[in-house]
Amino acid sequence: MEQQHEHIVRSYEEELALLNNKIAKMGGLAEQVLGQSFEALERRDPDLAAATINEDEAIDELQREIEEQAVVMIARRQPMAYDLRQIMAALRISTDLERIGDLGKNIAKRAVAVVTEQQPKQLMLGLKHMGELALGQLKEVLDAFIERDADRALKVWYKDEEIDAMYNSLFRELLTYMMEDPRNIGLCTHLLFGAKNIERVGDHATNIAETVYYLVHGRAITDQRPKGDTTATTPVTLKRSAV
Amino acid sequence: MSLAIHTEVKEQPPTTPATETSGELKAKVSVRNLNFYYGDFRALVDNNVNLYKQKVTAFIGPSGCGKSTLLRVLNRIYDLYPNQRAEGEVLLDGENVLSAAQDVNLLRAKVGMVFQKPTPFPMTIYDNIAFGVRLYERMSKSELDARVEDALKRGALWDEVKDKLDASGLSLSGGQQQRLCIARTVAIRPEVILLDEPCSALDPISTAKIEELMDVLKQDYTIAIVTHNMQQAARTSDYTAFMYLGELVEFDETGKIFTNPKEQRTQDYITGRFG
Repeated sequence: MEQQHEHIVRSYEEELALLNNKIAKMGGLAEQVLGQSFEALERRDPDLAAATINEDEAIDELQREIEEQAVVMIARRQPMAYDLRQIMAALRISTDLERIGDLGKNIAKRAVAVVTEQQPKQLMLGLKHMGELALGQLKEVLDAFIERDADRALKVWYKDEEIDAMYNSLFRELLTYMMEDPRNIGLCTHLLFGAKNIERVGDHATNIAETVYYLVHGRAITDQRPKGDTTATTPVTLKRSAV
Repeated sequence: MSLAIHTEVKEQPPTTPATETSGELKAKVSVRNLNFYYGDFRALVDNNVNLYKQKVTAFIGPSGCGKSTLLRVLNRIYDLYPNQRAEGEVLLDGENVLSAAQDVNLLRAKVGMVFQKPTPFPMTIYDNIAFGVRLYERMSKSELDARVEDALKRGALWDEVKDKLDASGLSLSGGQQQRLCIARTVAIRPEVILLDEPCSALDPISTAKIEELMDVLKQDYTIAIVTHNMQQAARTSDYTAFMYLGELVEFDETGKIFTNPKEQRTQDYITGRFG
């Protein structure tokens, strides 16, 4: 259905607009928390990390508000068809954004943990690129939501494979650093968890993409998503000479 | 448009409705290329739709869209009025009920109807039920008693009236009167039950009782309900037809109509938008 006419009851229209605005705001905050957490980790900046951890609270608060509003709207408006899908989408997307906020917070906490590490920042380059890619995916899928653009969402959905591929190579890269020099183990372990968190952000972005697709078309994406994360089955073998 | 619906209904009946438990769908009533006229005014335009056996089909749409008219054609109630005529076919088990050879009294015994306002006869509760039965069948007093009891039980009214069967049908509350009318319809063992806004004058508890009744009755009958209350259509029916200006715009499983309708006009109507 190409166009959505306005509701006869204006307050219904306003409530839906409010719900959508809250999602947009929450999305903006999630982007901010995530971006700052990468920066804090890269710069090993404890102040920025602490501020970022605090900001996650606002995301959680918005999620509670969205959930409450959605439940009240279901009870009072008894939404149908596209309206129902909008409310279900708001619920799902807010859950994904809340998780993204938590992942950002977790990365920021790791930034605090690695403040005293002295290793060259070159070790962080891979993680930085991966973070940029995930942040790009999040921005793209939120734009797709706001514009109700299922094709754009679908592109995000397919592109998640790139994050997975990058995670795989980063996993190996960090393993190599650890094998090269045990003094890297502390930092690299944190970075590894950070990478895993970013990979999860990508998964939540694909969830949102699926929701946007459902919102627009009223059915789930039927294709099989290419899955690229193989780290769970990657053997870790240490060479004696390297230790 | 109507041709497309016709094809879809005929060739691809939805095969996995949410409430389907076993067996395949069988059309009890098939409306084919139906047009209906009040004098010169064409109130139904090439309608094609099936009422599936042991399913509830809801008809929704704005006032004047033809839902009640369509229901009135199914048991030829319109025959009672001058200048009203139907063209096309309404097949009940494959027989065209619109043909001149159709015995309309027999048809109305097979296709019962309950109206928006409860219409009990000004007689006792017992006679309200027995009256119709006596018209069609001869039976002993004890058989008739049993039939009345069975009908009132099916109408979910027995427990409330079993001690006052001699009281006037008019002494009952609105919700009870409506269930009395449903019991009266059921008493003559129809095959199809048509409900035209059966709950619009009832409170939520009485409405719930009638909706529960529909769930039970559909195990034996084919039911069509016209309702302005979309939530009621969503709650009670297996299939929903959306009508607009005499056209049958969309027909599908109820779950699909209310989550992902295909037609813009359906969506605008059920979500309360300007179309």
